[in-house]
Amino acid sequence: MDVDLIDDQILLRDTTTRFIEMTCPLATVKELADGKGQLDSNYLRQAAALGWFAMLVPEELGGGNVSGNGVLDAAVIAYARGAKLQPGSFIGTNVLAMTLALEGSPDQQGAVLPSLLEGRASATWAATGPTGVGEPTAGVRADRRRNGYVLLGSKSLVQDASSAGWLLVTTLAEEGPTQFLVPAETPGMAVIGRDGLDLTRSFFDVVFDEVELPSSALVGRPGAATATIDRQLAVTCVLSAAESVGAMDRDLALAVQYAKDRTAFGRPIGSFQAIKHLLADTSLLLEMSKAVTFAAATAVGSEAEGGTEMASIAKAFVGDSGIDLAQSCFQVFGGIGFTWEHDQHLYLRRLTTEAFLFGDPAWHRERLCHLAGL
Amino acid sequence: MSFEQEMDDVMIDLETFRRGARAWLDANLERRAEREPRVHLRGMDHKTVEGIAEERKIQRRIYDGGYSGLSVPVVYGGRGLTASHEAVFEEEAQPYVTPDFGVLGRTTDVCARTMLSHAVDDFLKRHLPRILAGEELWVQFFSEPDAGSDLAGVRTRAERQGSRWILNGSKTWSSGSYYADYGLCLVRTNSDVPKHRGLTWFAVPTTAPGVTIRSIKQINGDDEFCEEFLEDVELTDDDVIGDVDGGWAVAQTMLVHERGGGGTSALPVPVPSQGPAPDLVALARQAGREKDPAVRQLIARAHVNDFARHQLTRRIASRMRSSGIDAGVAAYGKLAEGTLAPLRARLALEIAGGTAVLWEHGDIAGMTTAVNYLNGRIPSIAGGTNEMQRNGIGERVLGLPREPSFDSNKPFSEVVRDARNWKSRVD
Repeated sequence: MDVDLIDDQILLRDTTTRFIEMTCPLATVKELADGKGQLDSNYLRQAAALGWFAMLVPEELGGGNVSGNGVLDAAVIAYARGAKLQPGSFIGTNVLAMTLALEGSPDQQGAVLPSLLEGRASATWAATGPTGVGEPTAGVRADRRRNGYVLLGSKSLVQDASSAGWLLVTTLAEEGPTQFLVPAETPGMAVIGRDGLDLTRSFFDVVFDEVELPSSALVGRPGAATATIDRQLAVTCVLSAAESVGAMDRDLALAVQYAKDRTAFGRPIGSFQAIKHLLADTSLLLEMSKAVTFAAATAVGSEAEGGTEMASIAKAFVGDSGIDLAQSCFQVFGGIGFTWEHDQHLYLRRLTTEAFLFGDPAWHRERLCHLAGL
Repeated sequence: MSFEQEMDDVMIDLETFRRGARAWLDANLERRAEREPRVHLRGMDHKTVEGIAEERKIQRRIYDGGYSGLSVPVVYGGRGLTASHEAVFEEEAQPYVTPDFGVLGRTTDVCARTMLSHAVDDFLKRHLPRILAGEELWVQFFSEPDAGSDLAGVRTRAERQGSRWILNGSKTWSSGSYYADYGLCLVRTNSDVPKHRGLTWFAVPTTAPGVTIRSIKQINGDDEFCEEFLEDVELTDDDVIGDVDGGWAVAQTMLVHERGGGGTSALPVPVPSQGPAPDLVALARQAGREKDPAVRQLIARAHVNDFARHQLTRRIASRMRSSGIDAGVAAYGKLAEGTLAPLRARLALEIAGGTAVLWEHGDIAGMTTAVNYLNGRIPSIAGGTNEMQRNGIGERVLGLPREPSFDSNKPFSEVVRDARNWKSRVD
């Protein structure tokens, strides 16, 4: 996320960072986490104007990217977002925009895409079953009824489900994996807020108690969503890894600075090998995380062979490394890292939570074996 | 000429070059037997002087064909082309039998690259053509019984006597010394200045009077390691590489070349695009455990780490292309190998379970996992320990302050004396 970028991507990253500094700096993120203050109501629209939700949508549908590789461009934005622990369903909105562009009916494209691209509405992807891990179809069944479908079951770990205008719900129908575009406030759909480890974002359970949907809510053909779901998962893994890499970069920078400033036994603690070596190992994890995420974003965005696998590799590697990094930085900060006031715990909470979204590292490792025919 | 035109010329040139190389290889080298493994089990692949003589003949053929030292200047026996040409030739040469000089293949390459940066013209004209032709294989005379990680603390000394230099001391851990022609030798030429400022590099012929080479038996059963004793070995100024007492700068160059090249290649690292760690999958199948969820996690863990290392290498190359050669950045590659290679060797053991620790008498395939396990610590120690890489990253990349130094600001002779008295020190 810092080498091998073209000038336009560097500009995109730096503009994004400046925008975040002006509208939602870490101080604001902390206020939000404490239940105080409110996010600038124009945040989403301004972000949209910078292209946050346009990168995975072709120009003829109102989108557009900067480098020709929209996934890599979106990853550049995700990286800048992660560094400052930005709120909001960035990944969900991008995933729905991409899927509508690929598979949506003209009506869906006309009614929903512009609002996503302009930041008038956000979206979230309900892709995790109630057990918290598994196939994206897990948890919700879709039964054909009259002119439509009935959804039954529940999803967990759905980000910002209460504020999202649209939910992309991945289900298993009799025909096979099937996806639906579900508007907020649909009768029979209960959105239940959960308390959680991550204080910078909100997650929800969504319960579908015989939710009746018309056929026009189908995204793509029933039973034929497997390839699209794979693509959604790959893009999600890449953007999730990129957000984490941004957060890792920032957390480590804070810890390194602390090791230079804090003195004990008559010298900066960073001069002790016990600390220096821990930070060097941690910085290696960050370097490898950047390398893996960049490779996966490049491959997924150019639809190169192996992109699916690389996305799972990135999700697994960065998931584990993010937790390791946050733990090691915590150790360097010592007692101060255990205080509510310090930023460290926000990074620890965010990175740890991220590892468990959209398949934890162990699930992605098993998936790699499965994909290889093992 | 515009930049674009220039690029075009290079591109065309590369394609022409590729066609030429392909034709030459086909006419002059033997094809490798199908699926013959390129990576040998280290420790099971002892090089003999006779075997190496055969490899030298192949190298000579490549040199005579004009395909050795492609990026080396023409005056030194090379072709004056680019690293891209070298990469093209390597790619084209994959299916052919090319010389296997064992550990000295890489060592000689690192030594030659270092010489190109620091040796004088006459030296290069004398040695490089012979290196490119396979007539000179070089070993590194670095470590000593009393100086490993603390390379600047070497005690082997060279004293000037008229126009000659007289070398005395001992070196160790010099892999492949017994079939090398020259040793690139770091010695102390001044003990009255701080340790980094009194070092000089010499080219020591392994056959010079006063040089004794002994093999050391290693835990993997091989005796590729050597120790050397230098007793009144006579050399001249012509044998000096870089400035007298200026050897530390040369050492820095060499360490970057060593780390940049991907480390010590002690263990097989499959290309991750072939799918999850094929060697470990094969191991799991042999043990009948490929459906065991725990074993699958181990395989995927190794696969993910292999991929991360592979991509890290590319990232390091990019970083160096954009901001120059940097020993701190190069240390990332070495530390990744030094930490992940031993881990991988251990994962293999866990996958194979009990089948890895016993094998039929003399069964090379059966002992592979165990030998790789023993070799697993090579990359974490050889060519700069993990701890040295961590210091390099911590100080050069992260900018963390150095430890207090007990040896850099006083004459080396005092350093040796004070270290001896350390145990009786009372603070």
